[in-house]
Amino acid sequence: MQEYVENVLAPRLRGDGGWVEFVDCKDGVMTLVFRGECSKCHILDRCTRWMEEKIEQQFGEKVKIQAVRRKPYFWDVK
Amino acid sequence: MAHVKVVRRSMRPEEWTDLRFGWLERGLILDREEIEDLQIRDARQVSENEYVFDDPDYRPLKKGDLYFTPDGTDFIRGHVRIPERMKGKQLYLHLSTAAEMIVKVNGKYAGGLDPNRERIDLNPFLQGDDLEIEIEAYNRSKPDDERNPMVLAKRGCRQIFEGAYLVTIRENLQSLIYDYILLMDIAGSEYFNEDYRHFLYKELSHALDAIDFDTWEGIDEAADYVQRVIYDNTDFKGSGDVALVGHSHLDIAYYWRRIHAVHKNARTILIQMRLMDRYPEFRYTHTQAYTYETLEKYYPELFEELKQKVAEGRFEPVGSMYVEPDCNIPQAESLVRQFLYGQHFFRRAFGKTLDNAWLPDVFGNSWIMPQIMKKSGVDYFVSNKMSTWNDTNRFPHNNFIWKGIDGSEVYACVPPTHFITWNMPSQIQENWEAYQDKETGGQTLSMYGYGDGGSGVTEEMLEMVRRFPKVSVMPKTEIMGGAEFLHRNLKGNTKLATWDGELYLEMHRGTFTTKSNIKKMNRMLEFSLRETEILRTLAMLGGMEYPADDIREAYKKVLLNQFHDILPGSHINPVYEDAMADYHEVDEKLCALKAALPMDGTLFNTLNTPRKLPVFVEKEDGQYVRHGKHGTWMQAEAEGLSSVTPCAMTGEEGWITIEQEEQGLHVVTAQADLHLRQDGSFASFRDCDLDREWVREGCGFNQLHLYADNPGVYDAWDILPNYKDVSYPLTIQEPLHVTCLDGSIAEMTVVFATEKSTWKMILRMIRGQRGIEVEHVVDWHEKHRLMKVNFGPDVVTRDVVCDTSAGMIRRDLTKNTTWQQARFEVCHHKWFDLSETGAGLAVINEGKYGLGLEGGEVSLSLLRSTIRPDIASDMGTHDFCYLIYPHAGDAVEGLVNQRALEYNVPLSPYAVKMPEALRSVLNASGLLLQAMKLSEDGSQIVIRLSEQDGRRTTVRFPFTVRVLNMLEDTEREASEVAVHPFEILTLGIDPDCLRA
Repeated sequence: MQEYVENVLAPRLRGDGGWVEFVDCKDGVMTLVFRGECSKCHILDRCTRWMEEKIEQQFGEKVKIQAVRRKPYFWDVK
Repeated sequence: MAHVKVVRRSMRPEEWTDLRFGWLERGLILDREEIEDLQIRDARQVSENEYVFDDPDYRPLKKGDLYFTPDGTDFIRGHVRIPERMKGKQLYLHLSTAAEMIVKVNGKYAGGLDPNRERIDLNPFLQGDDLEIEIEAYNRSKPDDERNPMVLAKRGCRQIFEGAYLVTIRENLQSLIYDYILLMDIAGSEYFNEDYRHFLYKELSHALDAIDFDTWEGIDEAADYVQRVIYDNTDFKGSGDVALVGHSHLDIAYYWRRIHAVHKNARTILIQMRLMDRYPEFRYTHTQAYTYETLEKYYPELFEELKQKVAEGRFEPVGSMYVEPDCNIPQAESLVRQFLYGQHFFRRAFGKTLDNAWLPDVFGNSWIMPQIMKKSGVDYFVSNKMSTWNDTNRFPHNNFIWKGIDGSEVYACVPPTHFITWNMPSQIQENWEAYQDKETGGQTLSMYGYGDGGSGVTEEMLEMVRRFPKVSVMPKTEIMGGAEFLHRNLKGNTKLATWDGELYLEMHRGTFTTKSNIKKMNRMLEFSLRETEILRTLAMLGGMEYPADDIREAYKKVLLNQFHDILPGSHINPVYEDAMADYHEVDEKLCALKAALPMDGTLFNTLNTPRKLPVFVEKEDGQYVRHGKHGTWMQAEAEGLSSVTPCAMTGEEGWITIEQEEQGLHVVTAQADLHLRQDGSFASFRDCDLDREWVREGCGFNQLHLYADNPGVYDAWDILPNYKDVSYPLTIQEPLHVTCLDGSIAEMTVVFATEKSTWKMILRMIRGQRGIEVEHVVDWHEKHRLMKVNFGPDVVTRDVVCDTSAGMIRRDLTKNTTWQQARFEVCHHKWFDLSETGAGLAVINEGKYGLGLEGGEVSLSLLRSTIRPDIASDMGTHDFCYLIYPHAGDAVEGLVNQRALEYNVPLSPYAVKMPEALRSVLNASGLLLQAMKLSEDGSQIVIRLSEQDGRRTTVRFPFTVRVLNMLEDTEREASEVAVHPFEILTLGIDPDCLRA
């Protein structure tokens, strides 16, 4: 599953200036760190739902993605 | 009396007007029919015209569904029957989207939809009662330039489908809305007369009083009021004369891969052509031969239509170049090829040679540009950034003459405002007010149109143009083409001021350094292309075929990656991956083209100057390691354009003594007496030949500095002037120690570590050589850090001489003026040099460009670690070298440029024969052989020579040659050619002359 996230899903997010890193997957909860454009995306939840669907299609297993945003300092500048 | 701030809670009259202005949109759609028979298929684009589909077939698409996936393209198809009540009326397709859509209706390209346009005129495409709709849509999630906050909120990888509709609209209300967009913009803009703005607010409110916002009665009355009371009022006056040039800037890669630019470009062109159908007065300019090439290849139907529009003079190719390249880092020959391949495309496709360079977004422009333009048929130059982005000084001209390093002059326009505007009155007025050449330059240039897939001009922008003459306070405006603007206002204008120097952008100084590997590969391939062309040309004279198409394609791929958001490093991670893949593909192709040549154990010198430096020859069992490869150092002192048999270096015991001392190592050779610190920096560098010291007391010399590098949102682009405020100590893991010592070579190595990275610096000395090579082997995992190496030489000089690749530029080291202060980080090419009368010190690099100037010190920028747009920028391993090269005399007398070419251009292990007559002329010319190739038409050999020392000379040939321009057109024939300082000379020679 980690390989799938890193090699199949992550490149697609990178195509939109995003970035995702796999942290762990325990008890049906997959923790992912989101950086780049993903870190400030208003609709990241839609993307994580899509990732959950793709994982279920691929592995027949439901996971819940816990998104951890790592927003760089400069996005906080007003 | 204390001041009490009044907080107003009731609505101001202007707010009431503004609120009702917003309500007008609600009444726009008169009737609508939802298109329910829609299907969608998710895909991901994997090359220019290839897609991988997520699902085996289409699925139904309903309003409220999520559509698009990350980095996704969607294909949508649908069918609708026109309801009876709508037949015979003006029909539109209405679809609100954050994506970029190309729409076909009944098999014809009907137009485009995106955040800036949500309606397509259907009537020209109606065939009976049924409509077949096909949509190709790239999901737009780019971060900037949308004016509408609603759009910013919408963007993201997954969108909610808001439905597609057949609609009719209240055309009179649409017209009134355009009136209000225009007039409300003026009313809200401080660029316009305050009294007029009060007048507008008052009268616009009165006009709206006529409208019933429930029944939509009173629209015509309101429009009539606006005409009579506002447009017909001439009591208020404006001034100015503004040329409006429709344009859509297109980054070939940035927040998207170059494969996506194919669709973005086609959509942009389609939309502009459809606007031309409706607005006969509309003219549009479009750059980059590459974008036309992709249209021709992947959208031939649109290309055929485009050719017609070009022939009519309504769609105007501008720019001349293959892409809009970065204009700091590419070598002169690359810039020549940008024009050569660009102009040859425009000639073939449209029968035109363009006379302008159109580079609105590039990050400054090298001083070598005017000559290259002039000799490529280009008399005019347009570039916006210096006027709107400089962080310190206001660039003093907008319409002017730009004089280049060799004295060539072109007409130049740096428009006062941004190259992406949406043609609002306030933007036009701002342009006029910022225009500095009102008295001398004629009209000012205002480009209008969304960029980067925002797809240029909109119907609204053209409706504004039609209304501008009705508004008495507006400057005079005129739609025109780019070339027309330049010809009318600049050509022959004797009042124009002259700017003699580089067009340095006081911003984006980090782009000389970001993405180190891209810059390294670009440099390597520029020279590899040169080598391949020279070798295959010589082989052709011996009867071998010249692989013109292969070389041209390889060149074009390198030129494509010189685009101004690829080579500078300001792009997302997949763009980097694409560029590196392209570079490796080109490298393999060039290696294969060279490998077809015979080898006889000799090495051929493609330079027309003698070589003096030892060469590193890769060998699997070699005892030395350089750039991670085993090999051996050899002597190969070849004459220019000649072969040499390399020989092993002769060793000599005792050529060097290295002793440990308290602060590091004391190293003595016949050339130098060095005291090296434990960190690899030089405490003292006594030059035994010149009997002088090179290190200034108290200064670092070859000293690494790790700085905080936090420029903000423009992370990959910028280095701030205060970057030295915070620096971090480097932990020495292994102090400087001897790692290699024999009769020829000595290497001393120091290893540093930070919490995340390791950095190995190797000082390499070779017997008999005065230069000291420094290799850096790095595993780099920093964030927001800049690594520089400082040189504080004991040289009394106020300037540093920098290589431009086609001549040298002197840059001030003093900080007396704001212009000098702003140039704290500059771009140089293969070397920089600090000299006094009689001696100097150069540092020659093999792929670094950023150079910090700080008083008497200079610093070579080595690596950055930015996180936007690419989180992973520059992360990983790096291996790069430079040569510290002291010399007698100044940079010219010290032959620094020749040594720098040697350092960058390897000897070729191929056996080729150089015609003696040509060899002797070129070697004695004092010029540098920049290129040798078969001409594009295959009729002659093209030789390009470059004068780089700033001296005047004459080249005499034993046969007649053709003097060509850079497009390979013959200008005259001669056997003697006079050359002026920094001139680039292009010659055509009949191959039979050389065979004889």
